[in-house]
Parts: sequence; structure tokens; C-alpha cells
Amino acid sequence: MLSLRIASRFLRMSPAQTGLIVAGIAVGIAVQIFVGSLITSLQADLIDTTVGSSPHVTLTASDAGPVAGAQQIAGRIEKSEPLAASAVAVRTFSAISVEGDDSVPLSITGGDSTGLDIIYGLSTRVVRGDYSLEAGEILVGTGFAESRDADAGDTIELLTPDGSPRSFVVSGIFDLGAAAANERIAFIDPDTAAEVLSMSDGEYSAVYVKLTDVFASADVAQRLAADPDVEAIDWQSQNSELLTGLQAQSGSSALIQVFVLVAVALGIASTLAISAVQKTRQIGILKAMGMGDAQAGLIFLWQAAILGVGGSLAGLGLGWLLIAGFGMAPVPFSIRIEPGFAALSACVGVLVALASSIIPIRKTSRLDPIEVIQSG
Amino acid sequence: MAELLRAESLEKIYGTGETATRALADVSFELAEGEFASIIGQSGSGKSTLLNLLGLLDTPTSGRTLYRGEDTASRGRRERARLRNSLIGFVFQFHHLLPEFSVFENVIMPSLIAGARSDTDLRSRAEETLGLLGLSGLEGKSATALSGGQKQRVAIARALINRPALILADEPTGNLDTTNTAAVYALFRSVSAQTGTAFLIVTHDRAVAQQTDRVLEVRDGRLVQDVRNRYISASG
Repeated sequence: MLSLRIASRFLRMSPAQTGLIVAGIAVGIAVQIFVGSLITSLQADLIDTTVGSSPHVTLTASDAGPVAGAQQIAGRIEKSEPLAASAVAVRTFSAISVEGDDSVPLSITGGDSTGLDIIYGLSTRVVRGDYSLEAGEILVGTGFAESRDADAGDTIELLTPDGSPRSFVVSGIFDLGAAAANERIAFIDPDTAAEVLSMSDGEYSAVYVKLTDVFASADVAQRLAADPDVEAIDWQSQNSELLTGLQAQSGSSALIQVFVLVAVALGIASTLAISAVQKTRQIGILKAMGMGDAQAGLIFLWQAAILGVGGSLAGLGLGWLLIAGFGMAPVPFSIRIEPGFAALSACVGVLVALASSIIPIRKTSRLDPIEVIQSG
Repeated sequence: MAELLRAESLEKIYGTGETATRALADVSFELAEGEFASIIGQSGSGKSTLLNLLGLLDTPTSGRTLYRGEDTASRGRRERARLRNSLIGFVFQFHHLLPEFSVFENVIMPSLIAGARSDTDLRSRAEETLGLLGLSGLEGKSATALSGGQKQRVAIARALINRPALILADEPTGNLDTTNTAAVYALFRSVSAQTGTAFLIVTHDRAVAQQTDRVLEVRDGRLVQDVRNRYISASG
């Protein structure tokens, strides 16, 4: 491939110019990867904190009573809703922990331990004690445990909605990553909850649904609300401000990335244009010797490809270094490199480089060898 | 000798309307295979325009150029480039070597453009050509590391590599001293005799033109003399 051979020789013979443009592309792609990964990780962290430990869609009865056939509904959702990771029927009630004049309210959820684990990720969030929901056991948050000076194995007393006291053994203490949740939420087994609420075996307060795609909650809720006996509430409708913030963040991130790419494109285009001017004489000679317009133009396409591939690969390395360096900084979350996004950034870098060669290719194609050979 | 090249009523006009300039008018001649000829003319006489038309670097406003009986007038840019590569070797006043490449790479470049592989055959052909021009041993040297005379000989080797039927040389010794000039013309003559390649050398120097077998004189864009046997009119 003669055009490739000439292109690589032209680049090798101008090492400083070649090095600078490769460095320029590398920095652009590295910034692209770093900013993209930072924003993605930041958003993932924020979303995980916000909805990672809560149901994404909650189904309740339209008439505010128990949900009829809740377990059947949960089973049906798990079978027929492709985006549902888990659906679990739960019984919920409020209780109060009273110590002298101090009272602390608790929102208690009673449900199957496996289902609750998928919804809240409890088994991995228990920091003391065990993840166990046997009859008479309760899982409380770190905030509540601290306020009541309770530890795993201790017995606590709560006032249930009918005013009667009930004792629970603390089987484990969890940390859901949010102070409010750690202070106000607790979990018990479904049978004890049924007793407290005087519910029969088949009666449940709600069905909690966890999704594989958190941003599909509004759509899924809309589908599930087709059943006239239930109401579906999705987390997105309850966190619209957060969503607006995330969208604004994504928008500004995309804008930054577009401008970085434009800067990279301008850098490559200007360097190739300068190279085309610098090599006018050589191209004219090659054309006089019989090189066709397309083959001459290919020289600059190859130059762009070499610069784009070299710069993008260097950018991948530099981006990885930046992210690794960020990982060493004392920040509360880590940036994850998305291989797909990094590969896409590198491909975009190569495509931008190729697109930048259009002007020099056109200039080269139009070059008349006579202009060159008659001058010294 | 068989006819290699025929120019028929070549005319070249640059520009249009009031600014139109006729650079060449009604130029017709034939050149035989292996002929050793020159085109002479003062600066601005139209000789370089004629060379560009004969070398298929430019197209005439009217008239046509035929190579071995084939009309080139209707050929597109791509086809003319292919014909240039296979039929014609160029030697320019300013040698125009590619500074990024070695002597060897410069010499084989026309063959690579033609699609040849850089294999043993091509290497031996290039070494043979370089040997013919007294450049053996310089293959790996950078084109920029040569003297003016050596550069011009490398340019001649490059022009010969595809074994063209015709070498078009435009003031090939314009930048050389007397000794090198004489050496280059001796070389042209020797190469022509050994390879049967026709030469058409453009020069403004009568003394140089007189070393060729046939002199075509261009004045004011017209072919005013076509003299053989090394005789040129004193008034020319």
C-alpha cells in the first residue's frame, strides 16, 4: 500500500509535529473518557444512594385497603414484566419506640427475606449481627440502633398502631447509605406483620417492585397501573428534581465532550492542512510521475488514520491513568471505566481524525503537478 | 524507425475573453522511437507548455497528441496519469527528488505507483539502473545527502526505472555546472543508445541543443524550425 507507506514516512520525518498532534488527540480522548466516566459514575453513585435501597415501583390498592391477590400480582409481574428484577408482597405499618419522654417513629416493612434482600440489598448491608427475619426478629438501621443504644441480640419494644407494645429481638443492624433510612426503616417477617395488622394470610399492604433499569420506572408503573384495582407509584415521579439535575448534568457533560471533540477535530484538521501545504511539492512530483488523484488523497487519509489511531490509543492509556489517579484521591466514590464508552470514545477519535482529512484530501486531489514542477 | 509520438496542430490558450493568451499555436511534429531530440526556445516561447502537453500533464485547447497511434485527447485525468507513468519518464530542472526517501526508494517510486511490488526483481532493476548512471553504492543514502550532479542522476534513474518509451527532460542541466552538464548529456546519449529510449530535451541553450540529433525550435508559441543533422539556423 504505497499511500500508507508515504503517509507513515511523511509523519516519521516530522516527529515533533506528529508527536504534538498525537498528544493533542490523546489529551482530547483522555478528557473525553475521564469526564464521561466521572459523570456516569457520579450519577450511578447518586442513583444508587437514592433508589438503590428502595423499591422502584410501589403498588397499593386503589381503595387504600389491602391489595387483593398481592402475591399473585407479584408472581405475575416477575413472570411477565421483562424489566422487573423482583416483585415482593409486603405488609407495612408504623410503630414508635418510646424511651421516657423520647419517642422515635419507625416505618416497618414485613416481607419475605429473599424478596426484601433483592429490593434493599439487605444481606450485603448488614454491618452487625445477621441477615435474619425469623418470627419475632427485627432488622434496624445504624441510626436507630445508635439512638437506642441497641446492638444485635438486644430486645427492643415498640408501640404498634393499635397502641399495644410488642417486643422484637434485633437480629441485625444495616446501613442503607442514607441517614434518614437508617433512622426510620426497619424490617420484620411477614407473619408477625400480619398479626400486628390483623391481616389474613393472603392480605398485603403493597407490592414492591425492583427494576433492572431504574429509569424505566415511569413506563413500568404506567403498565402496571392498567389494573384498575391498584395504584402504581414510581420513584421517578417522586424525585423529579433529582431527575432534572441528572439530566442537566448529562447535558452539560455531553456539551463538554462535544467541544472537546470539536477542539480535537480542529487540531487534526489544521495540522493536516499544514502538512498538505508542506508536502505540496512532493505530492506534485508524485502526480507528475503518474500517481492518481485518489491515491494522492489517500496519503492524507492514511495520515489521519495513523494520527487518529495512535492518538486514541494513547488517549485510552492517558484516560486510564487519570481515572486511576482520581481513584487515589480521598473522594467518597470511585470512577468506573465503562469499556464500551472508552472504546466508543476511541472510535469517535479515529472518526473525527478521518473526517478532519477531508480538506487536505480535496486540496491534494485538485493539485496540478504543473504548478509544482515548474517551480524550484 | 516507428513513430512514437505525434503532435497534431497543438494549441494552448490560457484564460478567456480579453485576458486570453495563446501560449502555443498549430504545433505539429512526429518523434520516432529512440530518437534523441531537443526543443529549443527563449524563456516564454511556449516550450514548457509544449512539454506539459506532450507529457500529458496538461490538455491542449485544440489539437491532439498521439502515442504509438493512440489518441490521448479523450483520456481522463486518471488514464493520463497511468499513461504518464508507463510511457514517459520526467527529468526536471530542479530534480524534484522526494527528500523523505532514500536514493533507492526515489528510484523505484514510479514502479510502486504503477503497482509493482518492492521485490527482488524491482531491486535488481533499480540497482542495474543506478549502476548505469554511476550511482552504485548510494542506494541507502538519503536523497538530501547527495551533490547536485548526483541528485540529477538519481532523477534520471527514476525516470528510467519503468523502462519508458520517452524521457522528457525540462532544462535538466539548468542547475548544473559545465562539467556536470556535459556528463549528463553524455549519459542521456549513452542511455538512449543502450535502452532505445527516445529523449526530448527542453533547453534554452543552443550549445546544449546542438548535442542532440534533432532540434525543434519554438518561438512565440509556434514551431519555427525542425532541423536534423545538428544544424541550426544562425538567425534562430
